[in-house]
Amino acid sequence: MDELLRVQNVRAAYAVGGREVQAVEEVSLTLREGEVLGLAGESGCGKSTLATILALATKPPLYVKSGQMVLEGKTIDLTLGAGLPRELRGQLISILPQGALNSLNPTARVRELAYDVLKAHRPTIQRSEAYELTRQRLEQLGLPARVLENYPHQLSGGMKQRVVTVISTLLNPKVLIADEPTSALDVSSQKAVVGLLKTLLERRVISSIVFIAHDLPLLREIADRIAIMYAGKIAEIGTNHEIIDAPKHPYTQALIGSILVPEPYVRQKRVEGIEGSPPDLRSPPSGCRFHPRCKYAMPKCSQTQPPEFGTPERFAACWLLEAVKS
Amino acid sequence: MNLFLRQLLSNGRFRFSLILILLLVGFAIIGPMVNHHNPLFAVGGRFDPPSSKALLGTDVIGNDVFVQLMYGIGTSLEIGVIAGAVATLIGVVIGTLAGFLGGTLDELLMGLTNVIITIPTIVILILLSVAVETRSLVTMGIIIGVTSWPWTARAVRAQTTSLRTREHVDVARISGVGTVSIILWEILPYMFSYIFMAFVLQLASGILNEAALSLLGLGPDNTISLGKMLQFAIQGEAVRTGAYWDFLPPTLLLALISFGLLLLQSSMDEVFNPRLRKV
Amino acid sequence: MNTFQRYILNKLLWYIAAFLVAASLNFFLPRLIPGNPVDTIVAQMAQSGGTEGEARRKIYQTYMREFGLDKPLLVQFGTYLSNLAHGNLGTSFGNYPAKVNNLIASSLPWTIALQLPAIIIGWILGNILGVLAAYRGGAFDRVAFVGSLALSNLPYYCLAVLLLYLFSVAIPIFPSFGGYNPGGTPNLSLTFMLDVIQHYTLPFLSLVLVLIGGQAVGMRSMAIYELSADYVGYMRGLGVGDGRVVRSIFRNAMLPQITGLALAIGSLVGGALLTEVVFSYPGIGSTLFTAIRQNDYPVVQGVTILVTVAVLGANFLIDIGYGLIDPRIRSAQRGER
Ligand SMILES: Nc1ncnc2c1ncn2[C@@H]1O[C@H](COP(=O)(O)OP(=O)(O)O)[C@@H](O)[C@H]1O
Ligand code: SF4
Ligand SMILES: [Mg+2]
Repeated sequence: MDELLRVQNVRAAYAVGGREVQAVEEVSLTLREGEVLGLAGESGCGKSTLATILALATKPPLYVKSGQMVLEGKTIDLTLGAGLPRELRGQLISILPQGALNSLNPTARVRELAYDVLKAHRPTIQRSEAYELTRQRLEQLGLPARVLENYPHQLSGGMKQRVVTVISTLLNPKVLIADEPTSALDVSSQKAVVGLLKTLLERRVISSIVFIAHDLPLLREIADRIAIMYAGKIAEIGTNHEIIDAPKHPYTQALIGSILVPEPYVRQKRVEGIEGSPPDLRSPPSGCRFHPRCKYAMPKCSQTQPPEFGTPERFAACWLLEAVKS
Repeated sequence: MNLFLRQLLSNGRFRFSLILILLLVGFAIIGPMVNHHNPLFAVGGRFDPPSSKALLGTDVIGNDVFVQLMYGIGTSLEIGVIAGAVATLIGVVIGTLAGFLGGTLDELLMGLTNVIITIPTIVILILLSVAVETRSLVTMGIIIGVTSWPWTARAVRAQTTSLRTREHVDVARISGVGTVSIILWEILPYMFSYIFMAFVLQLASGILNEAALSLLGLGPDNTISLGKMLQFAIQGEAVRTGAYWDFLPPTLLLALISFGLLLLQSSMDEVFNPRLRKV
Repeated sequence: MNTFQRYILNKLLWYIAAFLVAASLNFFLPRLIPGNPVDTIVAQMAQSGGTEGEARRKIYQTYMREFGLDKPLLVQFGTYLSNLAHGNLGTSFGNYPAKVNNLIASSLPWTIALQLPAIIIGWILGNILGVLAAYRGGAFDRVAFVGSLALSNLPYYCLAVLLLYLFSVAIPIFPSFGGYNPGGTPNLSLTFMLDVIQHYTLPFLSLVLVLIGGQAVGMRSMAIYELSADYVGYMRGLGVGDGRVVRSIFRNAMLPQITGLALAIGSLVGGALLTEVVFSYPGIGSTLFTAIRQNDYPVVQGVTILVTVAVLGANFLIDIGYGLIDPRIRSAQRGER
């Protein structure tokens, strides 16, 4: 598969109270045409921050300190932050936000947002045209067109999320960044949203999805490849099978171990199985950021950051792998 | 408490407003001690400009503006303190009783509070001021106090209701401590900072209410206050005459005192309720 | 009876109670003044030598008749309430035999003409300033916020005094006195209108600046709250332009402000009495001021009851408005106030 998008050396921090929260540290990723890249990790490890950066939607207090994105041959300087042209957003890369249940303005009908989005990218579009376009898109995807007339409180949670999905992809963006789009939904609504995303991909409305979740079973179903994030860094990346069946990083192993506890509704729960909690990113641990919680930690781990062992396609950042190699 | 004090003092806005208020209070206390002129006794002609004889010139009937200011700040502060104390006292009594006892009494007291809140304060102020035979400084303070307690009562009731379910209150209740004692020892101490802040607000609004009443011709009798100074200045046409030394000091001081007190209150609020101030 | 009717009835009873309390204060408090108020005023008139024996007796009789001063106090109160219900505010002492109704009717338009535009324009501009400060942030926000805070904390009559001095004495651009030139007679000619506008400017400015400040401070914090809402981030994330985003924020933050506008309009009559005193501007404030100086109790009482009725009426209308909206919204919003 062809490479669609590449980001390199992304470092970003929140400036709060005179200090920096180093939420994303030296992240590089590639995304291929037609794939779903899963991004997993505990709460607070920087997934949403990375999503905001990928969606080109950063704004203070979040500052991108370094990094660039290559998309369709164009190079975008991510450090521009809020200075990036707004036209890129929604058109080239779009976001399906976390907590999407509140993503609709409570006092506006759905069609208002659809019009705002279309108008933002096609200044000459008429209201009626915009409504018609959205109506067609809804119907193609098997959603009732009447939702256009509705206010958010008139829609169920699952319907709201699907409507938001349609709006996010109204402009046929290349990449959709979906930040925990299903976390707040019940099981059947989750299925409906995942189904909708797959349809969008199959029909080539969008070319690729970055799907963020903090639980792995869901990613196992939908993702082609999975990246595991810990404390602002990518700890491990690989194909769906490689990550789920042959994890190499102790953090990935712990994540999977904590999830494979045979509980029927485990995906509803937060990842709790790993002892301790993610570090305070205002002053992350030295060396490997996982070392205070790692049961394999060696002296070296607290001193030097482990490099990424493997290829850009399949690596893990852990000193244990060095030992294997030598 | 000590911790709070240190936190308060490390807040720049608190330090600034505290110093401002202390300076004004100091001026009002020390001024009359070193000066023995009667502020209501003419020392010069109509609107004499500032000179070595009268530091801030004279007003429309030849009184020394600077001397009047010394006494006027004091009077205004005193009326404000009395008004604030009265309002806070009534508000705390009604608020704690309603919040702690609940039930019919609560509904009754809060009904009364809501009725009085709906009637415009200025109306009650005017009617009361018209009705009293002479308006001494104390009467003024009380009049202003009894019209402005409902806001304190409402806020104190809300606080009491949330404190009422605390464990130490339950313990006291079970061990047979009386209502008044529980309120005094188990509830009030926990909202002391809150009550103090409410008092500061009442103090500020008391001073402004005194000024408003004075400007309507309902100021305190036989004494001078900032409001009365401003009233004399306006009625004596100091503004249109251009006698800025007469009307500017009370105008600016009223603004400064109310600004200082509001700043004091908001900086205390910032320290005591850090979460509330994120935005 | 459905919920809505019960709600309205309940509110109505509260406002009637509040009105009765206010009317009682209005009636009884001035009666605490030692001696028969009629004696007091008649004595005063005699002192100032303005009224002769015959006229004095007529005043005495009018007042006795109006309130039945020889009857028991409660009966007098009944008479007072019934007079009020008929919209009859009695006869002025100071301008005998002018009716209080007429005195108020001739000054009220000035007050409304001064206050209503100030309230509405102050509200609109304050809202816009508040939203812009919240959305733009940075230096613009700091200047706008600190400025608004200072303006709104300044007692409005202090600002009035400062403006009066600055722009009609120090730099004499505007007239310093009255609602129009004392020589002129009110008519609709262009010259007279210009004259009226010149007199209008400073009092209006002194009010509108304070109102803008207060409204901007309130709107700013509302808009900051609104800005952190998820939908704002989402709209930005989809490339929607600033203009459209601000419009959404504006509309949503605006809804709660409408209550404030209604309340401000309700308190219009008594809201800026002192502005008129400072500028010697005709209107309710000046009428009240004169009445207080002349111990003209019927006029004082007329003004206070008018102020009360306006405020109670506005509050009641707001409550009906809330009742018409979804009851859930109503209860939630009432809780916030
Ligand atoms: N607006 C913000 N200001 C300051 N710190 C933030 C902000 N948003 C997130 N963070 C911090 O950045 C880190 C990463 O957060 P986030 O990207 O939301 O993680 P995730 O989506 O994986 O749960 C956390 O430590 C969080 O506390
Ligand atoms: S580098 Fe060391 S501490 Fe980090 S995951 Fe590997 S073994 Fe554990
Ligand atoms: Mg997140």
